[in-house]
Amino acid sequence: MDAHVAHTAVEAVKAVGDSGTKLQDLAWAVLFFPLVCALGTLLFARKDRMLAVGFNIGGVVLSFLLSFVLFAVYGGQRIDCTPFQWLPLEGLNATMGLHLDGLTTVMLLVVTGVASLVMIFSTGYMKDDPGYCRFFMTLSLFVFSMLGIVLADNLVMLFVFWELVGVSSYLLIGFWHEKPSAGDACKKAFLTNRIGDFGFMLGILLVWAACGTVNIGGIELAIAKDPHVLGATASLAGLLIFMGAMGKSAQFPLHIWLPDAMEGPTPVSALIHAATMVAAGVYMLCRLFVLYTVPAAWPASLDFLGGLNAATVISWIGGFTALLAALIAIQQNDIKRILAYSTLSQLGYMVMAVGLGAGLATPNPSAGMYHLVTHAAFKALLFLGAGAVIHACHHEQDIWKMGGLREKMPWTFATFGVGTLALVGCPLFAGFYSKDAIFATALESNPVLFGLAVAIACMTTFYMCRLVIVTFFGSARTESADHAHEVAGSMKWPLVALAVPSLMIAWLPLGDFLAGHFDAHYHSHGGDVLFGPFNHNALAAFFGLFAFMLGVSAAFAVYWGRSKDPLPAKLGQLSRAMRNKFYFDEIYEAIVVPVHDAAAAVADWLDRWVIGGLGVRGVTGVADFAGRALRLVQTGSIQTYTFLFAAGVVVVALLALK
Amino acid sequence: MNHSLITTEILVILLGLGVLLADLWIRPESRPALGWLAASLLGCILALSLGALTPHDGSAFGGMYVLDGLARYFKGFFLLAGILVILMTVEFRHRLPVGLSEFFALTLFALAGMLFAASANDFILMFVSLELITVTFFVLNSFQRARLPSLEAGVKYLILGGVASAFMIFGIALIFGSANTTNFSLVAAQQAQLAANPVFLTGLMLVLVGLGFKIAAFPFHLWAPDVYQGSPAPATAFLSVGSKAAGFVLLLRVLFGAVPQITSQWQVLLMVTAAITILYGSLCALPQRNFKRLLGYSSIANAGYLLLGVAAESRTGSSAVLYYLGGYFFTVLAIFTVLCSLSSTIDNDEISALNGLGRRSPFLAAALSIGLVSLAGIPPMVGFFGKFQLLAAVLEAARLAPAFYVLLGVAVVGVVLSLYYYFNVIRAMYWGDAPAGVSLIEVSAPARIALLVCLAGVLYLGIAPGGLLRLADGAVAGLKFSPAHAPSVVTAAH
Repeated sequence: MDAHVAHTAVEAVKAVGDSGTKLQDLAWAVLFFPLVCALGTLLFARKDRMLAVGFNIGGVVLSFLLSFVLFAVYGGQRIDCTPFQWLPLEGLNATMGLHLDGLTTVMLLVVTGVASLVMIFSTGYMKDDPGYCRFFMTLSLFVFSMLGIVLADNLVMLFVFWELVGVSSYLLIGFWHEKPSAGDACKKAFLTNRIGDFGFMLGILLVWAACGTVNIGGIELAIAKDPHVLGATASLAGLLIFMGAMGKSAQFPLHIWLPDAMEGPTPVSALIHAATMVAAGVYMLCRLFVLYTVPAAWPASLDFLGGLNAATVISWIGGFTALLAALIAIQQNDIKRILAYSTLSQLGYMVMAVGLGAGLATPNPSAGMYHLVTHAAFKALLFLGAGAVIHACHHEQDIWKMGGLREKMPWTFATFGVGTLALVGCPLFAGFYSKDAIFATALESNPVLFGLAVAIACMTTFYMCRLVIVTFFGSARTESADHAHEVAGSMKWPLVALAVPSLMIAWLPLGDFLAGHFDAHYHSHGGDVLFGPFNHNALAAFFGLFAFMLGVSAAFAVYWGRSKDPLPAKLGQLSRAMRNKFYFDEIYEAIVVPVHDAAAAVADWLDRWVIGGLGVRGVTGVADFAGRALRLVQTGSIQTYTFLFAAGVVVVALLALK
Repeated sequence: MNHSLITTEILVILLGLGVLLADLWIRPESRPALGWLAASLLGCILALSLGALTPHDGSAFGGMYVLDGLARYFKGFFLLAGILVILMTVEFRHRLPVGLSEFFALTLFALAGMLFAASANDFILMFVSLELITVTFFVLNSFQRARLPSLEAGVKYLILGGVASAFMIFGIALIFGSANTTNFSLVAAQQAQLAANPVFLTGLMLVLVGLGFKIAAFPFHLWAPDVYQGSPAPATAFLSVGSKAAGFVLLLRVLFGAVPQITSQWQVLLMVTAAITILYGSLCALPQRNFKRLLGYSSIANAGYLLLGVAAESRTGSSAVLYYLGGYFFTVLAIFTVLCSLSSTIDNDEISALNGLGRRSPFLAAALSIGLVSLAGIPPMVGFFGKFQLLAAVLEAARLAPAFYVLLGVAVVGVVLSLYYYFNVIRAMYWGDAPAGVSLIEVSAPARIALLVCLAGVLYLGIAPGGLLRLADGAVAGLKFSPAHAPSVVTAAH
């Protein structure tokens, strides 16, 4: 691993050295197309819907095509694009530079691909919205920020784009700002993210202080040279950086913003909560994975934590988040909220996999990254499918008020079914393979978490089958569900386009490709990709299959043919707790709000009386008083002036001639 | 003897006499044209004096008069000021019902006095040129004979100026009595003996009192607010630019030309004066409601800033003084040109009269804002860079005498206070409600040109200060600074 990282870094430095315009500089175009389109819309197409759509979809699709070119040309090569000086401060020297490798090019394809389809879907979904052009503009801005995170070659630039994602997600979640709930949701998302970002920034400062550079290649090089370079702050820096991921990827205890963020338009949910923003945290962990391969070390004051590794903490937080969210999802009735908690749960999975990956004999986080890619496809598909359902049912979101949509919306049903099968880990579908990679990692690294992962997979299957059975089977339970009909082409075809990778992406050797990125000596386990899991680690694969079958049969046993949820009666208190998200919002409100109010009251008192009263008003008062008093000297009487003049001469004479 | 050195002065005096004579023959309506003519002829003199008229440095009249870098710098400064003040006067003519040509002529005579002051190398020539300036200003300040405040300003300037002159001439008598000469160079040659002579020191101190009056330094500043408020705007502008600069050039010549050794003993005195002058001017400006009176206090505070550079007693400090004066020149003249342009529509000088100027005349309001922002010392205006240079000189001096850090703090306090009172005016212009029933304000072409010249100066010198800075640095090359400050000064400062 170390030798490999050193090799990487050397190559990175070489690539920066011999600059000049090259094909890899296309990455700049990939990054800036969406921004240019957003600005173009702002300047020229604030009213013209056709132009706005053309601009923004064109820009993102171009980015996608260029990403594809970069992927085809460079594959997994590590390349740095020509950087330019940004902040040439002594000791910091942050450049604006882009980095391309297997990880980033795959992520580029995911982000631009999903974004393109979401935008096309939105042309139909947002048809009647007065903020149509603004919507597309904000989406482009969001894509630009996200691409910046993906491509950044240093932590300062990464952080800037990290914050930009925060801002643009704020704009998107609060897109219908006239709704108070949307306003609250976007504030909540932004503030929660800020908490994580603060830790992230401290982490960046620690890493910078230890390594003397913010360039990621440079950090890899420094750690390859000396794994103890981070000193006593190694674990602390890792966890602080992870705080950033905790915010963006909605990990416990900062997970509360994600379900509320469903207040945004559904395509936004599909983009933010499937492929991009929430994936940013996991992606960042993979990008900075080198920080989690170092031995555990704590400052003297935290010595009692002993050999606790940052990666171990991360894997447990991920596992706990996954469990919590899966439990909550079982008793939600809002179609988007079920998907939201499912996203939370899957993100927990990915974070857990990254943490577990650090515990492998050859540290490798590729299982988490693999699941990120497949999840991006099928979760975007599920969100867009949910959007189609909501659109067809006149903005009804309660699954118990739907039913029987299978015949009325056959395309939506079919694609939604593909997405569900992928998510629940049905063999042949993408999710099965990526989940299997996680199971295999867990089995090797931490058997307790492996058990937890299987249980969560079981629950995932259960709640997703519940969703499909209640929504699409049986008979229509309300009038709006009865009058539903298939959505228009602009919404239908993106669903189909996403169903293809949801099914087939795992048929490509993507898992091996990603694993090879992190481990140059990695070699495939051979055999057909489709049966790879059984060749690689049969136990893990069989447990995956078992979880899938158990979940499906349980869901059918409980929900087939029901028009009311039988679980609340059976589970009682537990069901209510699940439905109320284990009262996290209430607990936070009870703890955070009074503390915050008290702090605010103290700050207010200080500002009002000490800073404002003594400081500002005191100083201005003294100055004003002095001014008014001195003015009395200027009587205007010439006798006084002459007297003072002469007195001044005497004083000066005393001073000068003493 | 080399009489050709004073060609510039002679031409300016001839121009003044010419204006007086021409007035006998021309019709009253064409008097503004006379101003135009005078201004353009002054422009020609300026252009010629830069090279053709007086190509060589040298001294004349037995060493009384010198022409060197410092003199050339200030002569250019004064001539340019004269041109702009005459243009300003043309703009101000509505408030000067009689004697417009005499106003031009007096301005030219005062200018001649300033030109002589820039070259003075003798206490006698210094006194004579200062009297030429002061006496003409007695008349200029009280020029609006029908207005009581103007008369009052003239009388106050007359009496206090008379007192200051009396002190100064008494001081010169003492100097002559103890040194047996009035020539700066000859005094400099024997300053080692003179430094211990209390009679000479008393005389020198009294001369400095007279110069302190010219630059409005504490405690000889009392006339400034009343005179600024009452005098006609062009006279005030010339007073605050020309007369102050004349005071400073003479101060530099006396302190660093004639008696650099004694000056280094008086550093604490200069520092205290600078500090109190800054604080006094800034604090008193805070409650002002009258704009011209505010400018009077601002001019006191600015004298304090300039004294910082003098107190630093270094080449950096003196060149910073020259640079600051150059920037101050454009800034103040821009402000007074706006006041003159307003004189035909707004009949008082209260700050509240400027309410809503932003809508009545965006150009004038913008020009005034830029001027005030520059005075407040905000980048990229020239005022910022001038203050920066002065403070840099203070910091440099602080390495030798830590007491300068106090001075630095005082200067910063003064700048902060100044932000308040300058922005108060800007607030009135843009956020104040215009009185009902007022119209847009027209700006005449000459005022527009004068303003654009000033604004270009303010912005250009702020963005590209290098040229003027090199010029200023070259100009102070002839001054002598006592190499090491006496240690006693440093301890005395604590």
